[in-house]
Amino acid sequence: MESRKLLKNGKSRGKLTKKDITKMSVLSFLEQASFSFERMQAPGFTLSMLPAAKKIFGDSKEDMAEFMTYNMEFINTEPHMATFLMGLILSMEEHGEDRKLIEGIRNGLFGPFAGLGDAIFWFTVLPISAAICCSLAQDGSILGPLLYIGIWLVAAISRIWFGSFGYKLGVKAVSTISEGTKYITKAAGILGVMVVGGLIPSYISLAFSESLKFGMGEGTTVQSVFDGILPNMLPLAIVFLIYWLFKKKNANVLVIILGIILFGIFMSFLGWM
Amino acid sequence: MEITLIQGLLLFLVGFICALDAGLENFYWFRPLVVAFFAGIVVGDVQLGIACGAVAELSYLGLLTVGGTVPPDPLMAGMMTFVIAYTTGQDAKTALGLSLPFALLAQWVGIFFNTLYVGIAHKCDTYAVNGDTNRFGKLVVSGWLLKALVTGLLVFLCSYALQTPIQSFVNTFPTWLVHGFEVAGGILPAVGLGLLLMVSLNKENAPYLFLGFIMATFLDLPNVLPIAVVGVCLAYINYMHEKKVEESAAKITVNDFGGEEDGI
Repeated sequence: MESRKLLKNGKSRGKLTKKDITKMSVLSFLEQASFSFERMQAPGFTLSMLPAAKKIFGDSKEDMAEFMTYNMEFINTEPHMATFLMGLILSMEEHGEDRKLIEGIRNGLFGPFAGLGDAIFWFTVLPISAAICCSLAQDGSILGPLLYIGIWLVAAISRIWFGSFGYKLGVKAVSTISEGTKYITKAAGILGVMVVGGLIPSYISLAFSESLKFGMGEGTTVQSVFDGILPNMLPLAIVFLIYWLFKKKNANVLVIILGIILFGIFMSFLGWM
Repeated sequence: MEITLIQGLLLFLVGFICALDAGLENFYWFRPLVVAFFAGIVVGDVQLGIACGAVAELSYLGLLTVGGTVPPDPLMAGMMTFVIAYTTGQDAKTALGLSLPFALLAQWVGIFFNTLYVGIAHKCDTYAVNGDTNRFGKLVVSGWLLKALVTGLLVFLCSYALQTPIQSFVNTFPTWLVHGFEVAGGILPAVGLGLLLMVSLNKENAPYLFLGFIMATFLDLPNVLPIAVVGVCLAYINYMHEKKVEESAAKITVNDFGGEEDGI
């Protein structure tokens, strides 16, 4: 077996147990503590790994200082992926990999990982769980919020798995993961977009008032004309309008929300909606 | 209805606990659906809490995805949608529109802290250079606690202390204005969905959006779950297809290369 690089104080590196990694993963719940615009998640990211790092470095202050310093560099990633990355970093530190290499992997991976984590949790789990739980909640069922809490509790606990997965894979993981990332992101995109499409008719209510007729024939309202073309076409149109404003016009969220409120008030004032 | 001092203090507690999670985004207790549910429990109107949570949750669905910016605060939106609906007796959709100023207030507080905590990060640098793990940990944790505490206080002030002004203000609204907020409340979920699409929609997956839309419009589905299941199937089919195409593409390149060599 290849001998591990010694610490700067000449002693050998401490070994981590399964328990240490589990503890690190649970501590990683604090990953976003004291989030700031400049360094983003760096303080919490560093904090979560400290007890395990202490075990590796023992009383070598110099190693600990180096470890803390490179981990205090800017980082902003998806929380589950952060835990995974911590496992990876600790595994490499334990094996005495070159610290420049670890630092490079850390700084090179958090961006792509953020994309992967967002695709899974933010664009897939969130819309689907919110959609199902809100439809339960709208029927007045207490199951709505309870199921929502349950789903995200499982998601939070899964970070323990993400942490040990990252630790087990170690440096080998890097190429395998970046290969899979492409496919998962794409698949999550398809699923997420399809669910959003399914949410449009049920969750956006936008229709002209039943009494708005503009002198059209008997029994024909403005709304019935729209419904004749495609039911729910107004909700679909408003989503695309907002999408377009964000994407092409770089619109501010606040401006759009205020615009919608003014539009609602104006339409109500005219009696059209 | 009125919020008593005890209820106000309990709302502070809900605000504080949910804000602890908002700082971490770990258990998703900062989402409107959960916040309004908890608020409903402590105030004693669970049904209203659930209804307000559902309306606010959908509007704030995609609101964290706008890179770099801090959106109107979902915690405060869920909380104040409930508080306004409870104290003024308005419909949940109307209350959602009226909760916006409070969500913005909390957003600004959030921006303030994210700026202030640049100082914490710099202090952490000093501790890191010295390898001082103890002080490092204490500082990061206290930054997290302080922000949650301030959010909790903000919830208390907006719900308990401001309820009478809010009530009398809303009660002066003419019917068309109140209905206008209701109309707007019905459209607001489009903002969340639009934001989600901004980051996930592209030329390749656009047809899936229409598939989902058409299924929901023309099939009488109880919820969105069947659409999600079809989505998983289609994503898998697409994955298998892409893999096959890539594999055969790889084969062709290898063969071509080999063929040329043979020719020479």
